[in-house]
Amino acid sequence: MSESASFVFSGRLRTDAFVEFARHRAARLDLVIYIGSVSDEAITLTVRGASELVDAFEMACSLGPYECLVLDVTRRAGLAA
Amino acid sequence: MSSAGFWHPVGLSHSIEAGSSAGTRLLARELVIWRDTSGVAHVWEDRCPHRGMKLSFGFVRGDHIACLYHGWQYDRGGYCQYIPAHPDLDVPKTFKVPVYPTQECGGMIWTTLSENSADVPQDCGDTLPLRSLYLDCSGDTAIAALGRLSLTPFASQGPADTIVNRVTETLYEVAAGQDRLLIGVQAIADDRTAMHLAIRGSAELYRGRGQRHFLDWALRLRHLIEHPRNTASAPRSITAEAI
Repeated sequence: MSESASFVFSGRLRTDAFVEFARHRAARLDLVIYIGSVSDEAITLTVRGASELVDAFEMACSLGPYECLVLDVTRRAGLAA
Repeated sequence: MSSAGFWHPVGLSHSIEAGSSAGTRLLARELVIWRDTSGVAHVWEDRCPHRGMKLSFGFVRGDHIACLYHGWQYDRGGYCQYIPAHPDLDVPKTFKVPVYPTQECGGMIWTTLSENSADVPQDCGDTLPLRSLYLDCSGDTAIAALGRLSLTPFASQGPADTIVNRVTETLYEVAAGQDRLLIGVQAIADDRTAMHLAIRGSAELYRGRGQRHFLDWALRLRHLIEHPRNTASAPRSITAEAI
């Protein structure tokens, strides 16, 4: 089943590293990704694809790249506001 | 052309049975060699894209190889076709293991790490497997030793000169009289080399006694390579049981 999910990853983030990481994981998981607002404290993005792979994307990004520390993840069904 | 562009032998064909897999290294890359149950050999990167487990620890079922860790199954093209934890998932094509061109020739399995490689060695006719030698030395050192050890003919009587021919950058032929040994040189790493030996000729002529005759030469070759400063001590004959 396909779904869209919006995420807010917050913590101590290096935006370029996190966005590159998210794009790479989305490509690997065959998800369409839209990057929303970006700052060193929070990154908003939306992905669309198979539900199981959206879950896998959330898990991967909750760990994040080496340079980032993700402290909180908020997930919402559908497109970001 | 860099050595990555050559065709490299990665094992004797008979060492990988149908329905089995084994790990090896080539130019410091980890590879899995596996043979599906219809007999076709495959050489891939030895890493499941899921969690990095070696696929050489996996198991072959028909024309698939499955990872030991979570059972992800890959078809002949390296594409994941089934994930047991998500049986209804239409697995995306992005879940793919890098695969390398694979051929069999001269009783050996060959692969290349480049898409622009030279031709694979031509058909070598009938061959009979001898054995593989795994050596703690560079490929150049191993190849140099070939010319330092005479080969006693088996099929013909009397002495004969030992001649070493380079067939390709990674395949050599050692000849004496009418006997021919094919030696595929696998560069595992800078300081680690495998030599895959096969007898060129008919099984009728060489099976049994002929294989034992050349196995003795192979083991003396290994002794020569591993003890380069002590060649005087090289035994005239080494039995397989002693190694």
